[in-house]
Amino acid sequence: MFFKLISRGSRRNRKENGLFFGSLLVTILAFYMILSMPRQDVMLFLNQVESQAIDKLLTIIPVFYGISLLILFFLIYYASKYQLERRRHEFGVYLTLGMRRKKLFVLLLMEDLQGSLLALLIGLPSAVLLSELTGLITARLVGIGIIGHRVSFSLQAVVGTAAGFLLIKLAAFLILSGRISRQEIDSLLMEMPEGVKKQQSPFFYGVCLFAGIFCLAVSYRAAIQGIAWSGALPMGRTLLLGLFGTFALFMGLRLPMELALRSGNHNRRLHIFQFRQIQETVVRRSGTLAVCSLLILAALCCFGAGVSIFRFYKNSEPHLLDYTFTGLESEEAAASVRRTLEENHLEPYFEHLFEMRVGHIRTTDDYEHAFRMESILSAIRELPPSEATNVLLNNLGYETYPYLISLDSYNQLLTAAGMEPLTLGPKEAAVYMDREFTRDGRGRLLNYILETEPEVVLDQETIRLTGEVQTTDLVTDRSLTLSFALILPDDRFTYYTQGHYGIYLDGILAESAKEKGSLLTVISDLNQQMNRTGLSYESYLQNMGRQLFYMVAASYLTIYLAIIFLIIANTVISVQFLMSQQKSNRRYRTLIRLGAPYETLCQSARKQINWYFGIPAAVAACSSLFGVRSLFAGILSSDMRGNLSELMIASASMILGLCVVEWIYMTAVKCSSDRYLLTLTVPMREE
Amino acid sequence: MEPILKIESLKKYYGKSKNPTRALNGITFQVMPGEFLGIMGSSGSGKSTLLNCIATVTRPDSGSIAMKGRQIQSLKGAALSDYRGKEIGYLFQNFELLDNLTGQENILLPLSLHSVPEKEGMERLRRLASYLEITDVLQKFPAQMSGGQRQRVAAARALILKPGVILADEPTGALDSKNAKALMEKLSGLNQEEKATILMVTHDSNAASYCRRILFIQDGVIFYELRRDLPEESQQDFYARILNVMAQLGGGSANVL
Repeated sequence: MFFKLISRGSRRNRKENGLFFGSLLVTILAFYMILSMPRQDVMLFLNQVESQAIDKLLTIIPVFYGISLLILFFLIYYASKYQLERRRHEFGVYLTLGMRRKKLFVLLLMEDLQGSLLALLIGLPSAVLLSELTGLITARLVGIGIIGHRVSFSLQAVVGTAAGFLLIKLAAFLILSGRISRQEIDSLLMEMPEGVKKQQSPFFYGVCLFAGIFCLAVSYRAAIQGIAWSGALPMGRTLLLGLFGTFALFMGLRLPMELALRSGNHNRRLHIFQFRQIQETVVRRSGTLAVCSLLILAALCCFGAGVSIFRFYKNSEPHLLDYTFTGLESEEAAASVRRTLEENHLEPYFEHLFEMRVGHIRTTDDYEHAFRMESILSAIRELPPSEATNVLLNNLGYETYPYLISLDSYNQLLTAAGMEPLTLGPKEAAVYMDREFTRDGRGRLLNYILETEPEVVLDQETIRLTGEVQTTDLVTDRSLTLSFALILPDDRFTYYTQGHYGIYLDGILAESAKEKGSLLTVISDLNQQMNRTGLSYESYLQNMGRQLFYMVAASYLTIYLAIIFLIIANTVISVQFLMSQQKSNRRYRTLIRLGAPYETLCQSARKQINWYFGIPAAVAACSSLFGVRSLFAGILSSDMRGNLSELMIASASMILGLCVVEWIYMTAVKCSSDRYLLTLTVPMREE
Repeated sequence: MEPILKIESLKKYYGKSKNPTRALNGITFQVMPGEFLGIMGSSGSGKSTLLNCIATVTRPDSGSIAMKGRQIQSLKGAALSDYRGKEIGYLFQNFELLDNLTGQENILLPLSLHSVPEKEGMERLRRLASYLEITDVLQKFPAQMSGGQRQRVAAARALILKPGVILADEPTGALDSKNAKALMEKLSGLNQEEKATILMVTHDSNAASYCRRILFIQDGVIFYELRRDLPEESQQDFYARILNVMAQLGGGSANVL
């Protein structure tokens, strides 16, 4: 009989409370996903390319797992609390019939265990499947290809998931069942109406509302103006103001609701009742709702951060060169590389192979005055002061001994890129700066000055700078990064370098080679052949690997966190609503006695649900407009920041995504609420 | 004069065994407009079941209940809701005020439920509040009111839509004697001045003495009927007669005393 009770109780829990069972499954999925991450194809691949970064990422996974345990504990706690609260009367009956508290505890424990095991039984295979699917989709998206796919199943992850899940489930159970089993039988048997919370004066709520709006406004301002990013203190202050503001705003919401109640149309069915219900629940749980709203905001910000990091690395550099052979000190060395490639039948892989010649001024030893560009510096000084002019003045002031680039080799690069080659007169030079030094409007500023063709002095010879600032990458990855260089006609280049310059042999893969697979796999395969030749080279793979790493890390971790935050916030809101609805069952019964039809009750409850979910989600969505913009401001360069419409589209799509998630939860809660209200009406008529 | 409420051969059995509990075993009676009818009986006599059948909370097994000539068993959906809200006003033993609504909002709740514009009810609300002496507590929440005030607010809620019959289920059950007396005086006043029809189930002989007629129920049937001889018979005399019947009935307070 005892085991029948356990089995029936467990089955009924699952049947009556799908929301709770759903939360359990989500928890299992979340644990397994994070723990199996190191076994994903993309991570295994990146481990070969960016092993250091991946190692760092993998060391933080246990930390993430720990944080997830803690966060998901609250989810389980809330969901279990709702589950046990609704069965208080039943427990009271058991105790009245003489069941010992110890036995009740065992009954609940066994029920809980049965439910947990079933959740694991369903959840773990689903988690393995989902993880596999995510791995395949990611591998396909980033272009690793799925041919060499290895099953990401990890026994360690399964054990970790089961252990973590059972641990938090047990912890939540012990706390809750301890509380329940300590209560007296009469308090278990009695229905526990919520009672009315002590009301504060309208003045108090007004002050809260005003303080909340004020703090949020200050925090929003600091966020979008970038003040928050200027240091740890301003950031802490902004976050604290935001937190306090949200709590105060929720506390003060009673006032506008009261005003709306008084001025609204009272003739709609149950208008006042549902408004009072919302008002009561919002005020009674203003703290919880504020936390939920902040969690939703955190989820949106995580998505925002993920998107901005993704965009930052995706758009960072347009790709042209696939290979650069480095460490070449002479033309002979470059020719030797070409020979080696030919001998190993690797040359056909390349459509372009050209030397990039870069050197220093060798005609003088006066490094402090080898190059002077007073005209440019004074032109910058005459411009309205800004961050860009400051940085330019600071950087260019030190450029007294710049690198020199051969025009011929640079033109080969431009031709390969499909761009117009540069034409320079004998006393002319073009400015080269690596892309990262021309960001934030600096390139634009310099181009504006270069339009006047300013005169500069290169080893006592006056030359004119013409054309725009050149930014096409000279090498494929990081073997050469120039903050400022001059492109000179070849004869002048040979004169100034005195024939001593470095050579970088750049290669661009042929279309026929690229067709063999994704760029990632082609370069990866070619690298294996290159390694056998003993040549010193860098390939675009490192570059890609780095981008991929940040993109994958950002999308995995931020989306993971965002989903967890969203799920917790929504589950807490759902559970709170359903609990409060059950506790106010007397009110619903009275309404039924007063002639409220079932449909009207459902309609009223549905409206309450809309508000109850809508208020925290709306506050979070509003804050996210500023929060995400601030994240973009902190992470992205000002060039990309300037593109407001794109940011707004990103924010709007996230809010749209939020609406979809909220809609799903609201629909689930509405169904639960309708079912519950039906139980209040039906038995009374069939007595 | 046509009766406002006509109950014929009403039966309600609980349990499906060979020996079911006969809560109502063929009760027949009528309630005339403006009447103040009391229903008394010991615990389990079926009086609450009777009230619940009239309130459409419990479905009878057989028999008929006609309100103003209309059979209420056939009512469904909107018609049933309208009946519950407009034809009857229910006064609960535990008041059943919604604790998160103010007194005024509680009283106006039936208007909102039955889509009656609030304006139409405001004048009646003022009159009822003034008569029931609850004007001062209209803006207060139930937690801020005394038991008597709560029950009077509940009475105003039951009366706001001018129902055909007020069903009162032990309305003085949760009140002290002073508040119980005050409430009964008000209900009696409403019956006399507004010609409100009241059907009250009670254990309390004192409260029952305010009625014009009392039906005593035992084992699901009407056991005895008492009529107050107005204007000759004083309330005190009527009370004495009630106690006598209660003593015969057994289980009443007179039996104990």
